Amino acid sequence: MEANGTPQSPAGDWRSYERMLLPPIQDLHKLDVYTKHGGYERLRRVLEDDDVAPDDITNEVKASGLTGRGGAGFPTGVKWTFMPEPDDRPRFLGVNGDESEPGTFKDRQVMEYNPHLMFEGILLAGYAMHIDTAYVYTRGEYTDWIALMAEQLENAYEAGYVGEDILGSDFSMDIVLHKGAGAYICGEETSLMESLEGKRGYPRYKPPFPAQKGIFSCPTTINNVETLAHVPLIVQEGGDAYSTIGAEDMPGAALYGMSGHVKQPGVYEYPTGMLLSDLIYDVCGGMARGEDLKAVVPGGSSVPPIRADQIDGLSMNDESLGEVGSRTGTFCPLVLDEETDMVSFTRRVAHFYQDETCGQCTPCREGTGWLENILARIDEGEGRMRDIDLILELCDNMDGGRTICAFADGAVGPIRAAVKRFRDEFEAKCEASVYPVSTDVSAGPDSAVAATE
Amino acid sequence: MSSFDIQRPIVELPDQNPDPEFSDEELVWTDAEEEKIEAWKEQYPEDQAAIMKVLWLAQEKFGYLPPEVIKFCGETLDMSFSQAYGVATFYHQYYKEEKGTYVLDVCTCFSCQVCGGYDILHYLEEKLGVHAGETTDDGLFTVQEAECLGSCGSAPMMEITNGVYVHNLTPEKIDDLIESLRAGEVPSFTSMTLPQDEEELGGNRRTDVESTETYQTQPRAEHME
Amino acid sequence: MPIVTIDGTTYEYEGDQKLLQFCLNQGIELPHFCYHPAMSIPANCRQCLVKVGMPKKDRETGEVELDDDGDPVIQFFPQLQASCTIDLQDGMVVETHRTSEEVEDAQTDNLEFLLANHPLDCPICDQAGHCPLQIQAYKYGPEGSRFEFRKVHKPKRVKLGPRVTLDAERCINCTRCTRFTDEISGSGQLSITNRGVKNYPMTAPGEEFDDPYSMNTIDICPVGALTSTDFRFKARIWEMSSTPSITTTNATGANCHYWVRDNQVLRITPRQNMKVNEYWLPDEDRLVYNKFNDNRPDGPHIRRDGTLAGANWQQAFAKAAALLGSADPERILFLGSAHATVEDNYLLTQLADAVGADAPRYIPHIEPGAGDDWLITDDKTPNAEGCERLGIQPIDEQLVGTRLAEGAYDLVYVLEDDPVGSGLCSADDLADTDVVLHYYNTTNETLPRATAALPAAMVVETVGTYVNQDGRAQRVRPAKEIQGVNRTLMMEMGTNREDEHGTPFDRWHNDENRINCKPSWEILPEVAKKLGEDLDYPKGPKQVMDEVQSTLEAFEGATYDAMGLKGTQLEDVEAGAAA
Ligand SMILES: Cc1cc2nc3c(=O)[nH]c(=O)nc-3n(C[C@H](O)[C@H](O)[C@H](O)COP(=O)(O)O)c2cc1C
Ligand code: SF4
Ligand code: FES
Ligand code: FES
Repeated sequence: MEANGTPQSPAGDWRSYERMLLPPIQDLHKLDVYTKHGGYERLRRVLEDDDVAPDDITNEVKASGLTGRGGAGFPTGVKWTFMPEPDDRPRFLGVNGDESEPGTFKDRQVMEYNPHLMFEGILLAGYAMHIDTAYVYTRGEYTDWIALMAEQLENAYEAGYVGEDILGSDFSMDIVLHKGAGAYICGEETSLMESLEGKRGYPRYKPPFPAQKGIFSCPTTINNVETLAHVPLIVQEGGDAYSTIGAEDMPGAALYGMSGHVKQPGVYEYPTGMLLSDLIYDVCGGMARGEDLKAVVPGGSSVPPIRADQIDGLSMNDESLGEVGSRTGTFCPLVLDEETDMVSFTRRVAHFYQDETCGQCTPCREGTGWLENILARIDEGEGRMRDIDLILELCDNMDGGRTICAFADGAVGPIRAAVKRFRDEFEAKCEASVYPVSTDVSAGPDSAVAATE
Repeated sequence: MSSFDIQRPIVELPDQNPDPEFSDEELVWTDAEEEKIEAWKEQYPEDQAAIMKVLWLAQEKFGYLPPEVIKFCGETLDMSFSQAYGVATFYHQYYKEEKGTYVLDVCTCFSCQVCGGYDILHYLEEKLGVHAGETTDDGLFTVQEAECLGSCGSAPMMEITNGVYVHNLTPEKIDDLIESLRAGEVPSFTSMTLPQDEEELGGNRRTDVESTETYQTQPRAEHME
Repeated sequence: MPIVTIDGTTYEYEGDQKLLQFCLNQGIELPHFCYHPAMSIPANCRQCLVKVGMPKKDRETGEVELDDDGDPVIQFFPQLQASCTIDLQDGMVVETHRTSEEVEDAQTDNLEFLLANHPLDCPICDQAGHCPLQIQAYKYGPEGSRFEFRKVHKPKRVKLGPRVTLDAERCINCTRCTRFTDEISGSGQLSITNRGVKNYPMTAPGEEFDDPYSMNTIDICPVGALTSTDFRFKARIWEMSSTPSITTTNATGANCHYWVRDNQVLRITPRQNMKVNEYWLPDEDRLVYNKFNDNRPDGPHIRRDGTLAGANWQQAFAKAAALLGSADPERILFLGSAHATVEDNYLLTQLADAVGADAPRYIPHIEPGAGDDWLITDDKTPNAEGCERLGIQPIDEQLVGTRLAEGAYDLVYVLEDDPVGSGLCSADDLADTDVVLHYYNTTNETLPRATAALPAAMVVETVGTYVNQDGRAQRVRPAKEIQGVNRTLMMEMGTNREDEHGTPFDRWHNDENRINCKPSWEILPEVAKKLGEDLDYPKGPKQVMDEVQSTLEAFEGATYDAMGLKGTQLEDVEAGAAA
């Protein structure tokens, strides 16, 4: 690990990177500090310059190559173009601050340390898509940060940055804070919309997509908090320039929320495409207590964990992580050392999904609990060898469009990968089974069912 | 996490004829609250959308949400009792039964799991003599196992009564915390300074908060459950 | 016309349609649970998965790409799709479980999940035998379950309200019931509570599920989670026969099935008729089944020496005829009935005409405010419209009541109604008046005053026509047997009773439960015959109705064939202009 970032790092010369989302400015969360440092200038320029049409902003965002930071990584500019032409219906922006993905704690930093950047991003997005109201859906546990945002939002309203005829233009937009109440699923965009409407947070099937039928059946775009915080930066730098930062396939700055067995966890801002090895050994100062690395979960509990022996040369962009069947997700890697019991770990992950499934779709409602049951049995030393294959088969039966939303995919992805990649650990915990290893349900006398009879 | 356990999976029928905890005279909004609610209704195309805010308001006002309070909230927004009840039971943070003065939500999920979330939980359980999901006899503390609370870099951590976060927990910190909670002092909001700020901002990004903390090496879990 | 290809067969379609509904309309069975045509689509059961593809189009030209054989290249969606949510598109290609192993497997997997926490108590479950879950599990489900853990235990035997009982363990969370109260009945009384595997539908604590339409949730529940408190454990579905008919509780003429075992009506369920009640039936229409079984008469009675005594039918006919023959026609009051069929009322009119009396009138049974502008009406009779179209007017209750009290009539001939019970007159008012009474139940308050009491067959025992408030003529069929031999009824029983599950052999026959009564269309001609009048319709009510529809404009077209199972809409006629 030599200085100046290893040359092959898609993040480039990350050591000399200057932070943009969370620049080192004290009290930047205050409106006056924010404006003193060029805050809301991008909005002003856009609103005052007659040559800047709403579509131009969308085009800049498209050119920047910005991808969503909520976990799915969809190109933001492209998503914006899905909004239909304005008609007489209201249009909404759903700002996804639910941040409930285990391992993820980076949106909160934006809310706390640079809320106005997010507001400015919201307003620019609103201008680009002719949106009149943005709802910032924040997880209910973030009470203190919601209070902070509320205070700053009020300041922004008073200063004329939000509300009617913003900065003397004819563009008006409201920002409304909405507090969740403890439901991971409400981070899923369609569930978020239902929850906003005052219902149980049951995801809706797509199509129709939010752009066609979103909040209150009106055209809606849902973006993550961090995603929107990038927008003023893109408007400032220009889309093309922004696209040169970090990894090519998902360019820009990124907030890396590092947790687990590293010396210095926390949220770091660097370009996308950081090598995992740089993040762990350099940025975070290496493994805590000098243990060996066992696994990395690169972006929240819903992405497949990676074995230590796979991480060489892997960087935090989907192209690279895709090579080992994982994803960047929320850009918040959890680092696990050699002592970690992967069975217990996987069991707890399964428990999370069992606890949080909305219970709407059959495979997800029943499958998550079933998986937890099997994993608990194995973890407690009472597993059967065939349980391991049953887990894999149940995983296959739950994902890939078997459910309304991607929750089930997020639940089984990591479980499947953990079982496959750490199978020896699972096997070691399984008692030698008297039952044959078979997962066939209806395959005659050889089937698992027949065997239990 | 709720008290439901997939290995002992029992869902009890809630009391179908509960004695109301609050009388009709108590179930009223003050003028100030009324005004708030009206403003919330304005924020959405339909009144029902304000139900989550109204339930939060009610929980702050009444401490928890027994059926009659949920009904009252529903009525405020022209929702049927059952619709409001369906919403209230979907979300974990709405307390459907009475809890201790302090609800200690210890995160045992994911990062916290591997960094000793369960160690902290067990320490607390032992210290207070209750199991997760239970309330101490003096009605002061309810200990709960929580899913990821979005503060994984400062694991293990907990949240107190849907409010303040306490980071980088250690048994000593728990001892202090319980002591001060017993004395009625709830810790104040703590800002977690970003590691990159340590050089550049002297480790203090916000001058308007009293308490700041830095990220530190996380413990390794003894118990993973 | 746009086309869609399903399992290799091409169908034309029109307009916007959902794939699942389209398949069902074509008779292509697709397993499903949560979808219901009358309600919003949640797509939560995930049972209806199919493989869907579209012709591949060239990116640049937009032309459909063709393969070597000149057939369009089909690009399938990478994931299976819930057919209930898919909008048909021109050229769409669909593979169901019949042609795609992937779909077949997915459906089996889904059933395995559905059954994981589902109690295996079919042998004691009311739904068994007509349970979509049971049927589909048999057809498409796995051989057994690999779920080896404790099933989730949820509340059982919960009385949601006066009429519906919940077994939450059986619930598959399809949300049909909650969508019904939200979207159809509008009471909003049910909601899914909790979340995840813990969730189940419930009322709010302390609330009663007393929606006047609550029992529809029992019908649409695809499992045995919601059962009828009243019907629970009474009969297995395969022990009963069901007869398509209509309810007579009010003027809607809601289409229904009468479920009969051992000549007793045990329950009444809705029958789909989009022109009348769609899929639904109010609770009040269902809970009347006892009146078909209980307090039924035991043959005709005639008054001898001041007391009613049993008689045989011939004696009863003779008594009625004698009374009619000896009274001054001007002092006979004929009361038709909005409870009785068109045929019976028509025959009564003929009889009144034959003896030279005034045309019959009928007693209205209106409860102002009882109706709900949906399936419950103020009018508590099924055939007021039919009476009016026959020219039978409602009586002026005040006037006739007074005249009865004054003893202005020597004889009152009552068709299937209860002048005393309905408050038209008091029993004492009839002290000096002879009464011929066609009646259903021994609770009839006019019965103690009857001179000749003739037990009439009820809607579940007869053949005939009713006209609902909107002018829809609908015919009814016998669902249970009565005593005596009647060729018409026997033929109708044979052709109309649907034994969904059993064979004719396992019908239960207990003669005790066969009521000694006769349809009025059999009684009235017999009485006429004793009077020497010819009211003979050898082909029974069918022939009567043929005559009615060909001679009265108000009934034009209402033949039995035309009415079929769903009835026929009659032309509007001006009030009073009828007959
Ligand atoms: C189960 C589930 C949970 C999710 N939770 C979150 C979340 O907490 N925060 C978030 O921003 N996106 C979350 N998402 C992703 C959103 O559905 C959506 O893709 C995202 O908010 C879009 O914003 P982006 O394009 O800016 O990333 C979740 C998705 C799923 C399937
Ligand atoms: S009770 Fe029946 S209708 Fe209601 S959600 Fe459950 S399975 Fe569906
Ligand atoms: S895992 Fe505990 S706060 Fe995220
Ligand atoms: S019928 Fe339930 S998902 Fe389509």
